[in-house]
Amino acid sequence: MSNTTTLTLRINDEDVTVAFPTHHTLLEVLREECRLTGTKHGCELGECGTCTVLVDGKPMLSCLVLAAEMDGHEIRTVEGMMIGNTLHPLQQAFADLGAAQCGYCTPGILMAAEALLEANPDPTREQIQEALAGNLCRCTGYIKILEAVEWAAATQRGEDTPPAKESIYGSPHAATKGE
Amino acid sequence: MQTSETTIKVGYGDNFKEIKVILPAGDIPPYQPEDKLELIGKSPNRADAFAKVTGRAKYTYDQQLPGMIFGRILRSPHANADIKNIDLTEAKAMPGVRAALSYVDVFGRSAIRYAGQGIAAIAADTEQQAEDALAAIRVDYDVLPFCVTKEASMKDTAPQVGRGDQENVVPARRRRGGRGPSVEEVDAALKSAETVIEETFNTQVQTHSPLETHGVVCDWNGVDLVCYASTQATFGVQREMTSGRGSVKAASAKVLGEFVGGGFGSKFSAGSEGVACALLAKDAGKPVHLMLDRREEQTDAGNRPDAKQNIKLGLNKDGEIVAYKVKNWGTPGSGGGGAGANNDSIYNLGLKHKEELTVRTNCGGARALRAPGWPQGVFALESIMDMAAEKAGVDPIDFRRKHDSHPIRIAQYGIARERSEWDTKRNVVAGSGKGTVKTGLGIGSSLWFQRGGRGAAVRVVIHKNGVVDVRNGAQDIGTGTRTIIGMCAAEELGIDMSNVRTFIGNTDDPRGPGSGGSTTAPTLTPAARLAGFRAKEALLAVVAEAKGWKAEELDLQTAQVVRKDGAALPEKLSFNDACGLMVEDNIDITEDRRPNYDGFTGTNAGVQIAEVEVDTETGQVRVKKITAVSDCGKVINAKLAESQVRGGVIGGVGYGLFERRIMDRGEGRMVNANLESYKVVGMADCPEIDVVFLDVYMGHNNTNVMGLGEPPKVATAAAIANAVYNATGARVTSLPITPRRVLEALARKEKRG
Ligand code: FES
Ligand code: FES
Repeated sequence: MSNTTTLTLRINDEDVTVAFPTHHTLLEVLREECRLTGTKHGCELGECGTCTVLVDGKPMLSCLVLAAEMDGHEIRTVEGMMIGNTLHPLQQAFADLGAAQCGYCTPGILMAAEALLEANPDPTREQIQEALAGNLCRCTGYIKILEAVEWAAATQRGEDTPPAKESIYGSPHAATKGE
Repeated sequence: MQTSETTIKVGYGDNFKEIKVILPAGDIPPYQPEDKLELIGKSPNRADAFAKVTGRAKYTYDQQLPGMIFGRILRSPHANADIKNIDLTEAKAMPGVRAALSYVDVFGRSAIRYAGQGIAAIAADTEQQAEDALAAIRVDYDVLPFCVTKEASMKDTAPQVGRGDQENVVPARRRRGGRGPSVEEVDAALKSAETVIEETFNTQVQTHSPLETHGVVCDWNGVDLVCYASTQATFGVQREMTSGRGSVKAASAKVLGEFVGGGFGSKFSAGSEGVACALLAKDAGKPVHLMLDRREEQTDAGNRPDAKQNIKLGLNKDGEIVAYKVKNWGTPGSGGGGAGANNDSIYNLGLKHKEELTVRTNCGGARALRAPGWPQGVFALESIMDMAAEKAGVDPIDFRRKHDSHPIRIAQYGIARERSEWDTKRNVVAGSGKGTVKTGLGIGSSLWFQRGGRGAAVRVVIHKNGVVDVRNGAQDIGTGTRTIIGMCAAEELGIDMSNVRTFIGNTDDPRGPGSGGSTTAPTLTPAARLAGFRAKEALLAVVAEAKGWKAEELDLQTAQVVRKDGAALPEKLSFNDACGLMVEDNIDITEDRRPNYDGFTGTNAGVQIAEVEVDTETGQVRVKKITAVSDCGKVINAKLAESQVRGGVIGGVGYGLFERRIMDRGEGRMVNANLESYKVVGMADCPEIDVVFLDVYMGHNNTNVMGLGEPPKVATAAAIANAVYNATGARVTSLPITPRRVLEALARKEKRG
C-alpha cells in the first residue's frame, strides 16, 4: 500500500512533478501534494460534485479517478481559472450575482460550467441545469447560479445582459419589483 | 452616558406610526424611513466573493499545517449495545499511529445507543494508516435489541433505548408561558363545534447535509490550543475547549472559522469529534486534521426529528375556528433534546390544547435544523387550515386572514395573492383541472421572532491611509455576516466597500453570537453601525482640530467631509485625506451591542405560495414556482437577503418532496447515509422562486434588523402539500410527498368517489 508513483502532471498549464501514494485519487493529490485546496472534498463518493475538475476540458469528479491515471492529460482546477489578474467571466458573474453563498460548492460548479460554455457558448437554461445536475448546493437555491452561467455566457459572446433586479418591496401596494 | 427617550417611526410601505422608545445608553436611534442610505438596502457583492470564486477561501477541511496528521473515528455497527471492554493496544502499535483514545475513557460513555456512535479515535500519519488502525481496535460488545422507529419504540415490549430508569416515551417539556385551557375545556369546545376536522400527519427525519462536513483541525502550541473549526459558533467551541467541565481543558483556545461550508443548525458544538481531535493532537504533539466523512455526517451530525401529529380542529357556524387540539409524537433519536412540532401558533385557533411526547429511538440524535420544530408543525397546521377553509367554503387566503392578526402578514397575503396569480391559476374546486398533468396552488405562512441582543461587540479601526477594518470573531456560514457588518460601519463612515476589510471567524476578535435562531445579523449589525458611528465622531474630531472647524457641524458622505447643513466647507477634504490628518496611528473603536427596546412587533412574518404540477399517472410532483413574501425587518443587503430566502425555500422543497432518512429496521442502521439516495434538491429540480421583501422598520435596535436564516424554510413544504391537494383533490398527509404517496392518495380519493 505504500507504493509511490512519481508523475509529471500538467495542471493549469504548468508541469508539476509529484510523488504520491499510488492509490490516491486525483482529489487527494491535488489537495495534499499540490496544495490546490480550491477543489473541494464533499463526499469522496461521486455524489456531490464539489471535487469537479477539468481533464482535457471535460468535467470529471476528481474523487473518482486515480492521479496515477493522469499521465499525459491536461488538468484544470479553479486556481487556473483567472485570466492573468482578471476574473474569468464565470467567476465575475458568480461574484456579482451572489451565486456563491457558503462557497463550498462554487469551485466545482465553476469548473462544470466552464466545460459547458467551452462546448456550448449559448446554452439554454435546461442545458445548464443538465450540465450542472451533478453539482449539489445546499445554500443558494440554484437560481443565481443558473443566472450567473447565463450572464457569463452572454458576456463571452460579447452581449451585454445585465443581471436581474433585486426584489425589495418598500410598499405592499407596489405592483412591480422595485429597487 | 444616559438612556434617552426618542420618538421613532416604525412600520413599512406607507404604514408608519410614531412610537416613543427609550434608547439604551450610548446607542443611536434606528434608521428612519426618510434616511438617505447609500449602502444599506443595496446589493454590494459579498466581501468574500473573490476568495470564494477563486478557490482561495480556506475552509477547515482545507487546512494543511506543517507536520499535520490525520484522525479517524471508530463507530459502532450496533444500534444498541454496551461496551464491555475496549482494547487499543494492537491499534497503537500499527504503523504511523501517533495517538489513540477511547470514548469510554474520555466521555465515560460505554452505552452505545445508535449505529454510528463514536467509540474510539486514532491519529496517524496518513488517513489510510488511521483507518487501518481502527480495524485493529478490539471491542467487546454486549449487543442489545433495539428500535429505530417511533412505532417500535412505543410498544410495551420495546427494548429500552436509554439506560437506568429512562423511558422510551416521555412527555416533552412544557413550553414557557401561562397555562392554557384544560383538555376538558377544549374537548367541550370541540364537542359543541359545528364541524370537527381531524387528521394525522407524518413527517420524516431530515438531515442537515452541509457540503462541508463537521470537523476540526487542532494544533497545540505549548498549553494553548489553536482550533480551526467548521462551526457556526466559534465562541461556543472556544468555551467547550477551555471549560473546566469539558475534557480538553485548554488554558486558552483560539478558534478559527474564517470560511464555513454551511451549517444549518448542526454546527454549534465542536462535537465529540472535535474534543477527540484536540486530545489526539495534544497526545501526538502534532496538529491533527479530523473531518467527518459523508456517512458519519449523515448518521452522527444531527437531524430534524420526525413527527406524528394528530390534530382536531373545530369550526363554528360562521366558519370560525373555536377549538384546536393536538397530540404530537416526535423522535430526537437517542439524543437528549426534544422533538416538538410548532403546529399551534401563527393563527388564532380558539381554545387550544397540546400534548407532546418525545419518543426515544436507537438513532443518531437530533440537532437544531433551520427553524427547528417549525416546518413539520406548519405542514400539519397549514394542511388542516386548508381542510377547514374548504369545509367552511372560504378561499384559503381569506380563511387565514380571518384568523390572523399579524400586522405584517396581513399585508403579505395580498402581495402573495397578486404575485402568484392566485385568483387565476388556482383551481376553485381542487382537482378540477383537465388532463393527467394537473397544476395547483397552495399557501403556507411563517412566523419568527425578534431574537439577538447583547453579548457581542464590533471593532472598527480607521487607519491613517483610509483603510477601514471591521472585526468580529463570530463566523459567516454563508449568510453574509462578513459583508453586512462591513456595510453597516461603512454607511456611517460615508464610504463604499472598496476600502473596507472585514474580519470574521477568529475568537481573538470581539465576541459574537453563535449563528442560530436567526440572531447573528440582528446582534451584530447594530454594534457594527454604532462602532462605525463612534469612529466617525472620532475622525471628525481629528478633522475639526486640524482644520479649526466645528466637529458638530461636520459629517461624512460619499467619501468626503461635508457640512451637515449642506453649506460648502472652506476646502474639499476627502475621507482618505481626513484619515491622513490623524496624529495617532489609527482610530480604534469597539462598541458593545446595546440591549433591544420595544418596537413595532416582536415577530416577523412570511407567506409562501407554491405552484405545482402533478402527473396523476406517475405521481410525480414538480414545483414550478414559489412566491416567497418575506420579512427580516430592514434589509441590509438585498442580494444576500434574497439568497437566504432562496436557500430556505430550496431546503423546504427538498423536505417537501425528497429528503428522508431511511432506517433499516433489521440492522438498525441508516440505509441512505450518503447524498445519492438521501436526495437533496438538485439543479434540475429547482423551481422559480419569486422573493419579495417587506422592508420593515422594526424599531428594536438601531438597524431594525431581524434574522432571516430560518423563517423562509418554515412554510415551503406546507405550501407544496396544499398545492398538491389543489391540483389533484387528493391530500397527502405524509412528507415527503413521493410519487407513491400521491398515487395512494389519488386511489383513496377515487374509492371515496
Ligand atoms: S467529493 Fe467527489 S463527488 Fe463529492
Ligand atoms: S454555496 Fe453553500 S453549498 Fe453552495
